Amino acid sequence: MTSRGMWRHGRSFVISLLVLIAAVGPQVCPAQNSAGSPAAEKIRLGEQMYREGILPSGEPLRAYVKGDIPVPGTAFSCVSCHLRSGLGSVEGGVFTPPTNGDKLFQPFQLLFKGLEQKYFPLPPRRPAYTDATLAEVIRSGATPTGGTLNDVMPRYLLEDEDMALLLSYLKGLSSHYSPGVSATTLHFATVITDEVSPEERTAMLAPLEQYIAIKNNQARAYRAPGNKSRQMAENMLVSKELATRTLTLSRWILKGSPETWRKQLEEYNRKDPVFALLGGVSSGEWKPIHDFSEANRIPCLFPITNLPVISETDWYTLYPSKGYYQEGEAAARYLHTDGVLPQGAAVVQIVRDSPEGRALAAGFRQTWLDSGNGAPLTVLLKAGQTVTKEILRKATGKKNVAVVMVWDGPECVPALQSLVTAGKRPLSLFVSARYLGEKLWTLPEQIRPFTYISYPYTFALSVTYSAMGNAKLQEDQRQALGQADVTIKNHAQEIASLDTTLTQIVTMALMDLRGNYYRDNFFDVIGMIADQPSSVFGRLSFGPGQRYASKGCYIVQLTKGPRPELVKKSGWVIH
Amino acid sequence: MPKNTLISLFAFFLLGLMPALEPAGAADAKKYQRTIEAYAIPDVVLVNQNGTKVRLREVLKSDKPIIVDFIFGTCTTICPILSVGYANLQQKLGANSRSVHLVSISIDPENDTPKVMRDYLKRYRAKPGWDFLTGSRSDIDKVMYAFNAYIPNKMSHYPLTLIRSPRDGKWIRIFGLLSSSEFMNECQKVGIR
Ligand code: HEC
Repeated sequence: MTSRGMWRHGRSFVISLLVLIAAVGPQVCPAQNSAGSPAAEKIRLGEQMYREGILPSGEPLRAYVKGDIPVPGTAFSCVSCHLRSGLGSVEGGVFTPPTNGDKLFQPFQLLFKGLEQKYFPLPPRRPAYTDATLAEVIRSGATPTGGTLNDVMPRYLLEDEDMALLLSYLKGLSSHYSPGVSATTLHFATVITDEVSPEERTAMLAPLEQYIAIKNNQARAYRAPGNKSRQMAENMLVSKELATRTLTLSRWILKGSPETWRKQLEEYNRKDPVFALLGGVSSGEWKPIHDFSEANRIPCLFPITNLPVISETDWYTLYPSKGYYQEGEAAARYLHTDGVLPQGAAVVQIVRDSPEGRALAAGFRQTWLDSGNGAPLTVLLKAGQTVTKEILRKATGKKNVAVVMVWDGPECVPALQSLVTAGKRPLSLFVSARYLGEKLWTLPEQIRPFTYISYPYTFALSVTYSAMGNAKLQEDQRQALGQADVTIKNHAQEIASLDTTLTQIVTMALMDLRGNYYRDNFFDVIGMIADQPSSVFGRLSFGPGQRYASKGCYIVQLTKGPRPELVKKSGWVIH
Repeated sequence: MPKNTLISLFAFFLLGLMPALEPAGAADAKKYQRTIEAYAIPDVVLVNQNGTKVRLREVLKSDKPIIVDFIFGTCTTICPILSVGYANLQQKLGANSRSVHLVSISIDPENDTPKVMRDYLKRYRAKPGWDFLTGSRSDIDKVMYAFNAYIPNKMSHYPLTLIRSPRDGKWIRIFGLLSSSEFMNECQKVGIR
């Protein structure tokens, strides 16, 4: 166990201790309001106040923090502190209590007696809120017991009608356990699309199913009276809660064309509702599954895909990385910051019309435009069309073209040789390591000095399958070696490694849920977890609302010779 | 969960966590810790919200008062409060907002790209004179070490405000969250008004 990991567990333990609140088993089956109905409109307006800080009038909520600091407009709102589920957080020594329906309208008191009372300051006990006392505490900070809230909690100036909307939103917020939760089970599923090879399916399923088996065994041990593990679990108050529920995992296999996936997913979910989707694997675009999760508000954690949906606002899918898009992004950032591009020089992208090619090109284009550059030129390669000398000559012959991106798979490699001989040689050529695969190592010698490769993996010796050559050992590699305990030699092992990381995240998330089985709380607590080491990406990081865990991608070059090495030209993250 | 994890967890909990909780009490009592410090600024090049490279030593060698805090773009609770303090100070200074240089340094440098930082500043209606800096993780680590503010992980951060007086280059180090009047009070001590 690393020291980071230890800190992590220590912290979540404290959080759990701080928030041991009596919980009455909430009933399932939330009131369903069809969209557009007056009730649904009320919820929408309340949600807008809670999440965006905007009143039904369209004006921002008015508030003061720390006694006298007016909050500028919509800089932050309830969600910034109490989080999306309303279950609150502990951050930087500030305890933000729950404001969800289930907790507010029952007394805040301690359920378990023990260590926590001796060592930790606890939030004050209070009776259940009523509409009147709740409105009062939000407006003035005056609590039902005659105290005053800490002034980190803003004071909100709200008219009665607006207050009524906010209160009814809080009443419905995390007030009934999410679907997939019963008194005895917590139900998950994992999505696998039909074209995935049996080997890769197993790579994804094995760590996950094994993890669930171990967890359930531990819970059984806990329930057995007189068992030693039980004494351990007694000390670990948080796991007591987990021990009462068995984890179950269904396989949702999607067949046929992607257009039919959504219907299949809806059908699976109707018959067999789940709390969340764990892992999953597809070689196609994840979009149909992403859209399903988003529409049904079902968290999907760590699907194995290099073709995720790129969105700054979608909430319900947390990807290991941005995949191909991230490589295009890195190429743009490198080209923009390294400053070698002459004034007025143009960039041309030669793009395979495939999901991979389009994602690489989109990542480059968007990032390039965001940095204030002009749009790149694009040449699309249709199905069956390969890169030829002629295509390259035409591309480099265009006005002012200094840089060429070839976002294509291994089949483009032979033609690249012609960049040396045919007409104008570009200043630089960019290609994708992931898309070229093992052909990367056969890039013609003469183009290597001006070829830049996006390389989305940790620069560690343990990742060898796309790096059959030797990588030079540097400081961060040594660090990564220390973290990595899996040697990755093929795609199946990459999947297995990511999936093992997934099980670590789930372990922490389940503890941090503290028995509050609301889907939004699942991603709220994951947003608070510490960085995790990964044999594939080096370091994975999380944060409220962050949805792509790996943040980096190197730009590398290849040395000369038959057994070339990768040489880093950039840092992991390029700003 | 393996047994040794449980044991180390328990031991760690007993040994290490008491100090971590102190700020909660401090905040309750509306008190903050204040010390005067001298810091050696590391020679690192960071990147601001416009994507421009800046040498930290030069940024912090100003004849204006400087205020530094450590935040990140997606942070909850603490950063909003710290940033609202910055926004409010700029509001009070009005047209004089440039008479003090507000510097926020990212403790989540991999996620805080210039674009994320620009969006963040826009949300707080930042005016010229407030810069948000990011960089490589190793450079950011150096900066945190230099200010005795190192944390291994962004989620374990705490509220810290550092105010540099242009008179002697010394720093007022404030641990805890300030109200607006407390903040103004500290600012006045280094000549901000
Ligand atoms: C800047 C962070 C922050 C924001 C924004 C915020 N709160 Fe709070 N809130 C807190 C903190 C911290 C406390 C606990 C104060 C204490 O311990 O005395 C709290 C306490 C509360 C309580 C009392 C809970 C109890 O159990 O007594 C309610 C209710 C509440 N907040 C509702 C809201 C609502 C509704 C909004 C938005 C309109 C909001 N808060 C916005 C930080 C925040």
